[in-house]
Amino acid sequence: MTYRVGIDVGGTFTDFFVTHPGRDPVVAKVLSTPADPSIAVISGLEEIAATLEPPLSLAEFAGQIDTIVHGTTVTTNATLTRNGAKCGLITTKGVRDALEMRRGIREEQYNNRYTNVAPLVERYLRIGVTGRLDRNGKEVEPLSLEEVREAVELFKAEGVKAVSICFMNAFANPAHEREAAALVRQELPDAYLTVSTDLLPSIRFYERVSTTALNSYVGPILDHYLNQLQGRLKQAGFNGLLLIMQSNGGVMSPQVARDKSALTLLSGPAAGPGAGLEYVRPHKQSKCIVVDMGGTSFEAALVVDSPIMVNEGEIDRHRIALPMLGIHTIGAGGGSIGWIDEGGLLRMGPQSAGAAPGPACYSKGGELPATTDANVVLGYLNPTFFAGGKMSLDVEKARKAIETHIAKPLGLSIEEAAAGMYRIACTNMAQGVREVSIQRGFDPREFPLVVAGGAGPIHSCLICDELEVPLQIVPRESSILCAVGMLMSDLKHDFVRTFVSPLAGADWKALMPLIDAMIAEGNKLLDEEGISEDKRSHAVKFDCRYLKQYHEVSFVVPTEALAARDETAIAAAFHKEHNRLYGYSLEEQDVPVEIINVRTQAVGRTQRPEFRKEPHAGADASRAVKERRQVYIPDRAAFEEVPVYDGHALRHGNTIVGPALIEEITTAIFVGANHDCVVDATGSLVMYRKERPELAATVRMEVTA
Amino acid sequence: MSKADPILLSVFARAFKAITDEMSISVQKTTRSPILCEAKDFVTGLYDAQGNMLEQTENLPILAFSLAPVCRYIVEFFGDDIHEGDVIFHNDVFSMGNQNNDVAVYKPVFHEGKLVAWTAVKGHQADIGGAVAGGYNPTATEVWQEALRIPPVKVVERGKLRKDVWDLIFANIRLDIVQHDMRAQMGACNVGARRVVEMLDKYGVRTFEIHKAALFDATRKMMEAEIATIPNGTYSGEGMVYFDGHHVGTEFTIRVDITVKDKSISFDYSRTDAQTDGFVNGTFTSSASATILTLLQMVNPDMPHNEGMVQPIEIKIPEGTILNASYPKATTFGNHLCPPNADAIIRALAPVIPDRVTAGWNNLLCSLTTGIDPQKNEKYVDIGFMGLKGGSGAMKGTDGYDHIGMIDASGGLLDQDYEMFEQQTPHLLKRHEYLPDSAGAGQWRGGLGVVTDYVIGSDNTQFVTFGDGDFEPAFGLFGGKDSILNEITLTYPDGTKRVPRNKDLIMGVPKNTHYHQVAGGGGGYGDPKKRDRKKLAREIRDGIISLEAAREHYGYEGKA
Repeated sequence: MTYRVGIDVGGTFTDFFVTHPGRDPVVAKVLSTPADPSIAVISGLEEIAATLEPPLSLAEFAGQIDTIVHGTTVTTNATLTRNGAKCGLITTKGVRDALEMRRGIREEQYNNRYTNVAPLVERYLRIGVTGRLDRNGKEVEPLSLEEVREAVELFKAEGVKAVSICFMNAFANPAHEREAAALVRQELPDAYLTVSTDLLPSIRFYERVSTTALNSYVGPILDHYLNQLQGRLKQAGFNGLLLIMQSNGGVMSPQVARDKSALTLLSGPAAGPGAGLEYVRPHKQSKCIVVDMGGTSFEAALVVDSPIMVNEGEIDRHRIALPMLGIHTIGAGGGSIGWIDEGGLLRMGPQSAGAAPGPACYSKGGELPATTDANVVLGYLNPTFFAGGKMSLDVEKARKAIETHIAKPLGLSIEEAAAGMYRIACTNMAQGVREVSIQRGFDPREFPLVVAGGAGPIHSCLICDELEVPLQIVPRESSILCAVGMLMSDLKHDFVRTFVSPLAGADWKALMPLIDAMIAEGNKLLDEEGISEDKRSHAVKFDCRYLKQYHEVSFVVPTEALAARDETAIAAAFHKEHNRLYGYSLEEQDVPVEIINVRTQAVGRTQRPEFRKEPHAGADASRAVKERRQVYIPDRAAFEEVPVYDGHALRHGNTIVGPALIEEITTAIFVGANHDCVVDATGSLVMYRKERPELAATVRMEVTA
Repeated sequence: MSKADPILLSVFARAFKAITDEMSISVQKTTRSPILCEAKDFVTGLYDAQGNMLEQTENLPILAFSLAPVCRYIVEFFGDDIHEGDVIFHNDVFSMGNQNNDVAVYKPVFHEGKLVAWTAVKGHQADIGGAVAGGYNPTATEVWQEALRIPPVKVVERGKLRKDVWDLIFANIRLDIVQHDMRAQMGACNVGARRVVEMLDKYGVRTFEIHKAALFDATRKMMEAEIATIPNGTYSGEGMVYFDGHHVGTEFTIRVDITVKDKSISFDYSRTDAQTDGFVNGTFTSSASATILTLLQMVNPDMPHNEGMVQPIEIKIPEGTILNASYPKATTFGNHLCPPNADAIIRALAPVIPDRVTAGWNNLLCSLTTGIDPQKNEKYVDIGFMGLKGGSGAMKGTDGYDHIGMIDASGGLLDQDYEMFEQQTPHLLKRHEYLPDSAGAGQWRGGLGVVTDYVIGSDNTQFVTFGDGDFEPAFGLFGGKDSILNEITLTYPDGTKRVPRNKDLIMGVPKNTHYHQVAGGGGGYGDPKKRDRKKLAREIRDGIISLEAAREHYGYEGKA
């Protein structure tokens, strides 16, 4: 029982990262099997077993796996493709349309062809029942169980597979929801049930009903998938611990995942930011920006001690009000298509050529020019060494597509047009980085950029130049960063209660038991997950606002302040965060601070893989030079011959002077003309501005250490 | 560099948009009045040194197209007396402002000692002085009964707050939060200015100027190409305004003559009725904004919003008409003349570009309750956003958007969250749902309207209405049917029913009065008998079209 495996299921590939004490980690990729993603999981494990030294059978290997951490996008895909369960909603009479209205927003104001997104529950299955609580949770009108029963009868007749219950003001008193839930459980024992206050007992009706409905929509899907996965793993001989990745960057047991399936909805990229942090730690840093550029999307996230969290997000225009990592996704990837708008401006994406037909150079029938095509024309990608030579790229097709669709209409040469596409793609990605940094009150120049994804390191120097970020780190495992991150994720469980009260003079006798109850709930789950006391911690956060503001700011309540019930110190923490986010606070104006929600996060620390450390092998990298090639240097707007290094032959301490290219099987790295690069002890490539060599001092320090 | 680089052009276009978006997020997250942070009744913008629009984020479009004219006015007004660190306030409707309550902050941006740009934020303030809290005073006949006038004034000069001026302004405004909200608007201007300076540090002013000009040019061409697809000719249309707030039964007509000549378009309102003696009057910029936003819905929505976009558009509104009142008339209702103005434009252009117009949109009818929350013993003010949002008109190939709200907001104005509504007011919400059969029938139906019921929770409640749409429903097009009328009814605890006028002020509404409101749907497009039967069956099942209506209007022959 010594192996630990991170498995990240993506749209095209399923990535594996396998660790074993005292051995080099194993990295593997197999093609995903979207119809039943667990098939690729098993075939991947089988493939890995065969490559071990000595080779093992699947059963032998599976039997020695201690933990599998698994990231799945089955819920995400079910939502995006509208293949969720048939759902019913029981809610308060008079408000059943809130779910579909989405507060009356039309995201594209001038576009009269833009239609509303189809609701997660059809209107005839959204049933309002009699029964009402007031804003304090006091019963105004008793719940009509008769009407709940009628709803259930309709659901039975209509073959509803999942039921949501969400009543007005239930955050203040869950009694009606519980009564209704008991009846639904009794009458529809096979249906998946989500009760709003079990999932999200906090104020704001639309947010709660939407999140509840999403949970029911994907619950049966995830349940079915986990059954398949657990069945196959068991059959293969695995009896270790299976953990599931959640959107908050933590992991959870399959049982928690089954009950709160919505926690997985935005979990796809959630393991990346935490992993990024582990790669900057050797450089004495505890913050970074992690970017991941794949085929269709680009993700950016910010880490300060731990990844930045937000309390809500959206999937396919549906609100999901659960704590999650603040990951910003834009439609920019290797497959993003370049086009000219009506005003003659060059644009990149968000339309993507995807994997099929793919960029023109894939020769799979794609005729439109994509980012990858530009990268081929500019010399960044080696047409004969794409994916380590498993696939060859057609330069002529790339040139033709760019000429027809970009160069000719703009009166540019093919190379100029390709350079423009590259430039615009980088500008778009730099904007994505701004969204998670500047817009949240952080200066990106103070953060090292951790670059992941197959297409990331070709663009990162220009992104960094645009943002004036001086330091980048490309982990050796950059193309499977999420799979690595899964093995580094702790168990995390978030809780929230609404407690509307002025902060000054708050009723601590009512508030503390609320916090204690949430901590107890967290302990209960960690008990079930077998986490010992010494590996647990609980953080408390308040969502506060200035009296009569509408938007709350969520901030960590300092432990001492909470213990002492020091309202002034808590207010100070709030003022500070408000000021950081929005450039001002009302501390001096003495505006009262109001609590809206109280949150806790229970953390159970898991065992982390140790990074292997390589001995220093000297600065000279010349032995790794494969060839020299003409590539485009953006700063000089010209092609130049630069050395191309074999990334797998580079060793700790090897230094590369930009401009240069580094090729690895799963990625290519462009070291820009303003940058140099040095390999650190874990094998990461550390790129820094030429005028800032001190930024890589940590790498050299390791020599003497 | 003397010629624009096509790639850098895209970079600048993207950067301008990023700046105004960032300013918008800043305003939304930091303001306290629900009108700003919930309903997003504000606009952020970036202008060049002369006041030409570089980009805007138009959460509520009706405010949007007065920012550039005011910026130009400010540039002229202060001349060489504009300095780094200045902050200027403005709301005055007689110097290009659109509405008294819409107060703007302008901040000049300097680079290497030279004025290069302006950032601006305009937002609807919760109060602006005048005779009635909140600014909507149906009895007003002059501007001073409505608001404090703020012609361009420096509240910060060379980085130093002019405390005397600040106090003078806010001594004339009822609510404290207005100060905080104006501070938040100033904060957003700072955020924008910081980013402009960063951009100029990188590219230099000259490159910026060259690309700015090229961007205007590119956008102008885009707009010209759109206009060129409308056949040449002059097209006329009318829209109706009902009740001036003073004289029951009054009606006014907005008349527009639209002339398309190749790549340019002109809107001439010379034949429009004369101004009223009440507050139902537009200002030039509120009316011109209405014109532009209606036109923008008929062209490619993916167009940058800058000076080039408006260059091919000419708008003529003679002073003294209901759309451009002369000094010192009251004008607070002016923004809400957008729906009938849009009606006139749509009716004029429908015969020539039938594939690009919508049928009529539901007109705004809004209510506002103010009182003391008896449980908290605190004052509350609520604007009934959720109740006022009806449906949009259908267009060829697309149904109208349900519960989107009036065309001047086009889905940018959001409902209060129900539970937050009950926290912030003493009211108890009974119903807020799509109203069956509220949409105009058609091959493509109008967007659905909504019905709202709540129980008023405070005694001696002050109740204000403003709007229209209770005399004439949203119209259908090409065989599509009209929608239904807006309606508000108060049922007092003793059973007395009271239907307020569409511009009204009622004092002393007692606790436990039942509030009922209908916001109508949008007009339908095309013959309802041709509506897709599968869709229709689903709508009957979902209860948004009744079986009776389906049979009567749509010729439905299926079963329930």
